[in-house]
Amino acid sequence: MRIEIDNLSYSYSAGQKGLEVKALKNVSLTIEEGDFYGIIGHTGSGKSTLIQHINGLIKIGKNSGSIRVGEFDLTDKKCDFNKLRSLVGMVFQYPEYQLFSETVFLDVAFGLKNFFPDLKEEEIEERVKTAIELVGLDYEKVKNKSPFELSGGQKRRVAIAGTIVSKPEILVLDEPAAGLDPIGKRDFLKLLKNLHKGFVKTIVIVSHDMDLVAEHCNRACVMNHGEVFAEGAPKDIFSRKNELLELGLDLPLTAYITDKLKENGIEAPNDFTEEDFIRAITKWYEGEKR
Amino acid sequence: MKDFSFGSYYPTVSFVHKMNASVKILLCIAYIVAVFLVQSFYFLGFAACFLFVIIASIFSRVPFFRVLKSVKGILFFIIFSAILQVLFNKEGTPLWENGFITDVGLLTAAFIVVRITLVVLGSSLLTLTTSPVELADGIEILLYPLKWIKFPVHEFALIMSIALRFIPTLLDETDRIIKAQKARGADFESGNIFKRAKALIPVLIPLLISSFNRADDLADAMDSRCYGKSKNRTRYKKQTVGIRDVTGFVFTAGLIVGVIFLNGVLGVAV
Amino acid sequence: MSILTAENVSFSYDKKTDALSGVSFSVEKGEYVSIIGHNGSGKSTLARLFNGLIKPDKGEITVCGYSSLDKKNLFEIRKRIGVVFQNPDNQLVASIVEDDVAFGPENLGIPRKEIGERIEFALKAVGMENYRFSSPSRLSGGQKQRIAIAGVLALKPQIIVLDESTSMLDPKGRKEITGIVRKLNEEEKTTVISVTHFMEETVFADKIIVLNDGKVFMQGTPSEIFSQRETLKKIGLEVPYSTFLAEKLKEKGVPNKGEILTPEALAEAICELK
Repeated sequence: MRIEIDNLSYSYSAGQKGLEVKALKNVSLTIEEGDFYGIIGHTGSGKSTLIQHINGLIKIGKNSGSIRVGEFDLTDKKCDFNKLRSLVGMVFQYPEYQLFSETVFLDVAFGLKNFFPDLKEEEIEERVKTAIELVGLDYEKVKNKSPFELSGGQKRRVAIAGTIVSKPEILVLDEPAAGLDPIGKRDFLKLLKNLHKGFVKTIVIVSHDMDLVAEHCNRACVMNHGEVFAEGAPKDIFSRKNELLELGLDLPLTAYITDKLKENGIEAPNDFTEEDFIRAITKWYEGEKR
Repeated sequence: MKDFSFGSYYPTVSFVHKMNASVKILLCIAYIVAVFLVQSFYFLGFAACFLFVIIASIFSRVPFFRVLKSVKGILFFIIFSAILQVLFNKEGTPLWENGFITDVGLLTAAFIVVRITLVVLGSSLLTLTTSPVELADGIEILLYPLKWIKFPVHEFALIMSIALRFIPTLLDETDRIIKAQKARGADFESGNIFKRAKALIPVLIPLLISSFNRADDLADAMDSRCYGKSKNRTRYKKQTVGIRDVTGFVFTAGLIVGVIFLNGVLGVAV
Repeated sequence: MSILTAENVSFSYDKKTDALSGVSFSVEKGEYVSIIGHNGSGKSTLARLFNGLIKPDKGEITVCGYSSLDKKNLFEIRKRIGVVFQNPDNQLVASIVEDDVAFGPENLGIPRKEIGERIEFALKAVGMENYRFSSPSRLSGGQKQRIAIAGVLALKPQIIVLDESTSMLDPKGRKEITGIVRKLNEEEKTTVISVTHFMEETVFADKIIVLNDGKVFMQGTPSEIFSQRETLKKIGLEVPYSTFLAEKLKEKGVPNKGEILTPEALAEAICELK
């Protein structure tokens, strides 16, 4: 399913004089099926508002643009939002705070039972098991545990399981690595990569972490004051160094060093992923030796 | 949800805004007493009270329609009490033969409508011109005499102030949890009342847990900043009584005297 | 004499498994010390032991000569050691910035006039003087955390402890907080103890203490610690990204000498090859 956002605008407290805040201004974006898409921007740049539109958590106002997700036209009054939400999974920041059931099993099954009330017990169990194993937890060990007994990282995994259990085609995550320690973060990204390979088709990530976007995303956009500031492949976005710094955004570390080198007359063009960065510097060095 | 402002506080700089919060609370009570003192059916006392509200709102620089808007919230209540009076007041003469609506009933209804409206207008001026924090401080000072009977005035005030501080945070949090559960297909809008109440469990439990966590964190943070370890705690904010407050006192006293006077004069006349 | 010492400290939440066991180290006046460890290594427990929020089961913590074992000392200890916690939303008590900063000094019983001066000084130190009358709920996470630091500074402490205070912030907020604390350390000679899992925040520390499973795993200067990538990896920690890239380059035959901890150092090292 492709996501097409066309000319989308949104205001908080619309119509209230003095209180109105324009969160989105004429945003147009296309996210293709299969993308690992990054949305970058400051706190308050409209990123969160944007992604909440994608599964209809925020309704599109009159004359405020349109969104199509695959076959779903979100401006259509007859749009089946329940079905849409089963196909577009949304994981909020610190998703461990949404857990509430007595057992991990029940919590993961929550979404499934909401979306598909007619599902048989065996099928529920089968799908919950799949979801829990996909996020790297031992099903037999955790299924009857209270989610509140688990560690922070495990809770987060349970929350992800509770979202992917409905077999979404698109998974949207807001700042998914926040609060994790370095290894936790690395494992978590590995998990997302694995999901992307097979289980979900498209992943959309909202993140402040430029290194993460440079390393993992094939496309990205930069939001600023409710507008799309830049859109394209991360390596093109991060080449616009001065503009990004002006917005107060960071560069990925690799892009920062590549730029420093360029200032000193060393050309080592690369796409700012770890592997390509190492390749480019090594290649430059070998040329220098000769 | 992000632009939540508590109560109806209208931020601006004015004579009334600058008045001492405790004084304003006292004056508001005095004003309500004045409204209740009005006994005559001839509404002249009410006219005095209404004049008081108008003058006060001019000095507060709050647009008068904002003051009037406060009535909207309890419009249903006002109409309801009026209808009760009209239907069930059996005093006076029926308007038509064997009718159940009497002239006194109608008059009483009108009287009650005006009385409630005036009370609401006056007290809304208090909340429009005084921020919740100032109100809490004002209440604390008024409660000060209760220290004599060992009432923990300061702790009470601190609880009020912390509650005010955390309302926006918890509202944001509720919004987030509702959205997270909606994204998992939760349905809060359909079904009968029991079904809807049940649908709230996935919101209430995470909210409760996070509130407990917040309370724990807050207690640690307060302890770390030496709370409760010294007997002679000082206070940074001090409210002083100034010329504005004296003016307010005189003005309100004038209203009460006026109402009593009007009551007396017309009481004799009728 | 050390400004803070931990002597053979053990602590357990449930009396079964030790969150900390036999931890000893000392912090000198004016030092910047980072404490690192993966989630669950006991590093946050340590921060709560420092100012007596919890008491060691065994051993002793001493702050400026006061032992936290004696309840009567807690006031003196907390006056001298300010702790900034993780969640910016959960440590502010008042709906107006200046009232929140005043909370600590009020508790100390400082006269009103001096509280006013302290508010001014503390807000200036964190660059938030223009927000004195704002409401915290309208501030960003980084700004809230700056207010929290101001609230601690108003106590005029000798030691500031950051208990994962940057972990919930965006990169901009994180930089602001680290910048402010570094400046306090350099200019005001305030002793700083920073508990963190962002390796980039530790590279300018005087000393790093590495915790693992409730024990001190190693301590030393940043370059001493981060030269041991394999050892750190075993206990779930990483070296800063720049250090990692430098080592990868070395493996590929691109030499770089010295200890590389920052992107600037790495860029310089590569430039030297020209």
